[in-house]
Amino acid sequence: MRAALPVIEGDVDRGGVGIHYEVFGSGETTLLMIPPSPITHSRIWKGLVPNLARHYRVVTIDGRGNGKSDRPTDIAAHTVEANVGDILAVLDATGTESAVVVAHCHANWWAVSLADRHSDRVDALIAIAPGVPYLGRPQPHWVDTAPHWNEILDDPNGWELNNRHVYVTRHRDWIEFFFGKQLVEAHSSKQFEDAVDWALESSGEILATGEEGFDERVPDRESVEAMCRSLQVPTLTIHGDLDVCQHIDRGREFALVTGGEMIVFEGSGHLTPAREPVRVNRAIRRFVDEHKELPMHSQTWTRGMNRTKKALYLSSPIGLGHAGRDLAIAQELREIEPDLEIEWLAQHPVTAVLETAAERVHPASEWLASESGHIASEASGHDLHCFQALRRMDEILVANFMVFQEVVEEGGYDVVIGDEAWEVDYYWHENPELKRGSNVWLTDFVGYLPMPDGGEHEAFLTADYNAEMIEHIARFPRIRDRAIFVGNPDDIYPEVFGPGLPKIRTWTEEHFDFSGYITGFTPPTPTQSEEWRSELGYDLDEKVCVVTVGGSGVGRDLLEKVIAAFPKVKTMIPELRMVAVAGPRIEPESLPRHHGLEVHGYVNRLYRHLAVCDLAVVQGGLTTTMELTAAQRPFLYFPLRNHFEQNFHVRHRLAQYGAGRYMSYHDTDPDQLAEAIAAEVGRQVSYREVETDGARKAAQMIAELI
Amino acid sequence: MRAVEPTSSGYVERSGIRLGYEVFGDGDPTIILLPTWTIIHSRFWKMQTPYLSRHHRVITYDGPGNGRSDRTTDPERYRSEEYAHDAAAVLDACGVDRAVLVGLSLGAKYGARFAWMFPERTLGLVMIGPSLHLDIGLPEREAVFARLFEPSVEDAQGWDKYNVDHWYTDYADFTEFFFAQCFSEPHSTKPREDAVGWAGETGPDVLDAESRSPEPELGDREALAALTCPVLVIHGTGDRIAPYTAGEEAARLTDGTLAALAGSGHIPNVRDPVKVNLLLRDFVDRLAS
Repeated sequence: MRAALPVIEGDVDRGGVGIHYEVFGSGETTLLMIPPSPITHSRIWKGLVPNLARHYRVVTIDGRGNGKSDRPTDIAAHTVEANVGDILAVLDATGTESAVVVAHCHANWWAVSLADRHSDRVDALIAIAPGVPYLGRPQPHWVDTAPHWNEILDDPNGWELNNRHVYVTRHRDWIEFFFGKQLVEAHSSKQFEDAVDWALESSGEILATGEEGFDERVPDRESVEAMCRSLQVPTLTIHGDLDVCQHIDRGREFALVTGGEMIVFEGSGHLTPAREPVRVNRAIRRFVDEHKELPMHSQTWTRGMNRTKKALYLSSPIGLGHAGRDLAIAQELREIEPDLEIEWLAQHPVTAVLETAAERVHPASEWLASESGHIASEASGHDLHCFQALRRMDEILVANFMVFQEVVEEGGYDVVIGDEAWEVDYYWHENPELKRGSNVWLTDFVGYLPMPDGGEHEAFLTADYNAEMIEHIARFPRIRDRAIFVGNPDDIYPEVFGPGLPKIRTWTEEHFDFSGYITGFTPPTPTQSEEWRSELGYDLDEKVCVVTVGGSGVGRDLLEKVIAAFPKVKTMIPELRMVAVAGPRIEPESLPRHHGLEVHGYVNRLYRHLAVCDLAVVQGGLTTTMELTAAQRPFLYFPLRNHFEQNFHVRHRLAQYGAGRYMSYHDTDPDQLAEAIAAEVGRQVSYREVETDGARKAAQMIAELI
Repeated sequence: MRAVEPTSSGYVERSGIRLGYEVFGDGDPTIILLPTWTIIHSRFWKMQTPYLSRHHRVITYDGPGNGRSDRTTDPERYRSEEYAHDAAAVLDACGVDRAVLVGLSLGAKYGARFAWMFPERTLGLVMIGPSLHLDIGLPEREAVFARLFEPSVEDAQGWDKYNVDHWYTDYADFTEFFFAQCFSEPHSTKPREDAVGWAGETGPDVLDAESRSPEPELGDREALAALTCPVLVIHGTGDRIAPYTAGEEAARLTDGTLAALAGSGHIPNVRDPVKVNLLLRDFVDRLAS
């Protein structure tokens, strides 16, 4: 799912060539973002647009030859005139008098030409890794391969792939080689996949033609230099010193001749908008705001010793469980620190729980892009590839981090508590200078694990992500002031992080404290159980089977399978009463009906039903299964296919408690399911006791920091 | 040892009085840190000069009555207009045409007067805990001022010590009381000691004369309302000398920016120097851009 959607999109017709644009946000200042086409398109800005659109109006354009724009094949259709004409047409179509132009790579030549010919339309120019002809110096591999551009080479390799014939016949080989070289930064698998995918939306023929068109009608060096020198607009150049496409000297000379500002990203390659989105976002904002000459705002600064203690709490909206346990921790924290003010940066469904508890939700929460919406959009059938879903959540994580960082820079928090706040943990390690306050990291699992279906490539990817996390913590131990594992050492999955990487348990024991499990609710006593059953209208001689599939639409398949099994179970166990909870996204009326089966859309205080049922049939989520474990209820659980956390981490933890019966959704037919329900319903179980002091322990660990 | 020595120093003579000034650093634009009530002298800017002079030319000087300047007991010489002319003379002596003015307490009154009299020489004005005649209805304070020239009460306590007669009787007792009020923040022993020490370099006769200086013809309220330069007001919400509401009013009258310092007292440039330094730099940087 995208982190921000355009408010307007459209196409301009340029002599039969459609040029697509999108407009985001609103504001006095417009940013116009030009990708270097046709090798890529406007999605390269995905880490920037959601943040920038909260402050400015942002117009993005798909250059001719890629994205949602047309793909002309004539050289004449790819000249600087054609591209500058497209940009002007988009400015006109969007009613933009003038804009701050942001361009990447060779699109800067078009931006410079635009500013030269239409200076009234350009307020400023932000040149990222600029490739303006002649300036600085070309990388030697471009010089060396240029003479052979039109030849048919015998078994070309490496940079020799920069050849028209290779582009046309082996497009993917060239693209993969090129971006493999550009992403000099370690752990760039996602950026690499994105760049390759976007490039392959065009064709080798168009890419080759684009290159040839770019070189058409370029004036001589003196003219280009003079053009840059006479630019009437402020410039900011951002350039990685390890850029293999545009040598950093190109950026240096551009900054020099335009008399502008230069920011060098040391250790960065060509794709800084994708690989360093936080730094690029902040550089753009600072530059644009500086040139707007904002007045100083009235403000209040409170003397350090006069401040009340403040915590910012982030509770992951993925899954239903975090809100409950985080509220429990917050309440324990207030017992220890009665004056502590807690603000929550949170989103649906966590906010619903917080509002009921009258907690203070920070108003910036409304700017957060929906993580639960993204996860729901990634699921289909009884299947959620949660590792890939998390990877594809990259632009949402950047967008939400930028919101978080603004909040934390203004809020004066003593501590940030992030319960699986992935964006904070990741980007504070990537940008350690941005850390504010003490930082507590909570999680209930450590280590991405590959699903067998994913093969070697997925094993490589999970190991790469784990390695990055391990390196983060090794290099910047000061970012996590306290890391709390919600559980016990035995709950940690007995595997290694990947080939050549440490054992997950050994590493986690070295880098975490353990709070024990945190349920966020107290199981009923036997007397209470009887009372609850009676209140809920469950007779003692009934066998109540509760089926629940969480709040998203993901659970429909499981629900249908259980209902298909119902008639058979009912003949085996006549006293069976089945209560199915469809959740807000599944229409109860859309499901089959049977006598003895109730289907509810929503059940108030579901945990009470679960705590007193004779059997529960659930997915493999940690919160619900551990609630059932704590309440000593028999249950069948069906982890979502390809969900590594449910299939490995949760299953392993439940085994520690001897709780629940694991079932595979895909290998269980309704008959088998009926047999399992009949066997388990009403069975007396005796699981290991679930600790009840986890929230208190976690709160004590956090309180030591404040 | 001082954290930074002046780049140059000297005296300027104006209407019979020698005024000692010091210059630190040489960056543009120039910031002039004005004298305040002459009970203390220019060393009260000691937390600002080292930092600001790394980025700007900073000028400090002592007003008549304290520091390296001549003592005088002529009330006329303590008028706001005289202070404005003094500041102009110091700028002239330093070859500076235009500057950012920063004044604390009564210094804000002098700065505002300068900005009104010499708008072409004023880049911006910062008023810290401004002590101005704004007629905003502060009966308790007015009552204190009303007793200033009355005979002192027996065994004076609290604000009864704000009394010329008491100053002559027990000057040290008054200054200790007064600076305890100025530095109302806990753990302020050093700032109080410093200020009491600087107060000891002048005496009750000078303060007596200053107290009798006439108010300018055009009132502070009208002068502020007529200002055209950018204004920043910095004011502690715990200010016991110049109430915070006066700072709010000053910002409103000048269409200026208000930086409220929650929990701070009357002299935040000494007690919360880091925050004040950053505010000053931010204000000056925006003027320069």
